[in-house]
Amino acid sequence: MAVKAFSNEWAKQFKDEVNSSSVYKTAAKGWKWTVGLVVEAEPDKNFPESKGIVMDLFDGDARDVTVGPASDAQKCDFVITAPYTRWKEVATKQLDATRGMLQGKLKLKGDLPTIVRYTKASQEMTECTTRVAVEWPDEK
Amino acid sequence: MARRKVEAGSAESKLVEYADEEPSAFASMLGGLIEANVVGRDEKKRDFESLVARVGIFVTDIDEGVTLDFKKGKLTVHNGLGPRRTMTIRADAETVMSLSNLKVGLLGLPVYYDGVGRGVARKLLTGKLKIDGLLPNVMTLNTVTRIFSVQ
Repeated sequence: MAVKAFSNEWAKQFKDEVNSSSVYKTAAKGWKWTVGLVVEAEPDKNFPESKGIVMDLFDGDARDVTVGPASDAQKCDFVITAPYTRWKEVATKQLDATRGMLQGKLKLKGDLPTIVRYTKASQEMTECTTRVAVEWPDEK
Repeated sequence: MARRKVEAGSAESKLVEYADEEPSAFASMLGGLIEANVVGRDEKKRDFESLVARVGIFVTDIDEGVTLDFKKGKLTVHNGLGPRRTMTIRADAETVMSLSNLKVGLLGLPVYYDGVGRGVARKLLTGKLKIDGLLPNVMTLNTVTRIFSVQ
């Protein structure tokens, strides 16, 4: 059943997808930093307030994924910021996250060599988002 | 052409400059990556200080390129492919990221026998990774790879 985009239910399903991915578990061995995703508001898309997704990732496991204010996500070790529409494009496989970062469509803050070292893990994490059935607010 | 220094403040932050007033996201990312690598690792810094080359990198699936102008301890990053390049690497975004994940092995040579290395070698053989000017500049490519690699 579809869950509301970037809701607590979405966070739980996303975390379960990450934890059931053997690809992610292998590729993220050694990862020990928090990752914040900032989903910027787009009121005209029925997404009126920015949200922050805080991911506590450790050594191949997603220990916790929570949804809260954008300011929470901005405190993480790595922060990826984009408007709602861009994140929707990522989650629906219309935008590859690596390409998005190289094009500046997704803005990354954090130690670049570390994130590049874990490119495969971040690609698999993107794949995990595509496996969660989502009810998008601009499609209601 | 206007030049913008990256994060003035420390001597090492002047290692990388951007030729364009508004560097592209790709230019900023590559410049930032190389700067972080060089600042953090003495062996990479030695390579950086010895390298003189103009290296083009073109990402085929986003249709964007940069020219990295290495001049013995200074790097100027230009948006787009500029003239007089020593070599030009053309590949998709995933392959470009793979290049920065190549391990460096014995004698400072990139490792092409592990998973990442085999993937890069396969793309080279199948034409998905193209390097113009490779043959006369193999040593330069090895040096660039060492500087670029995050491993």
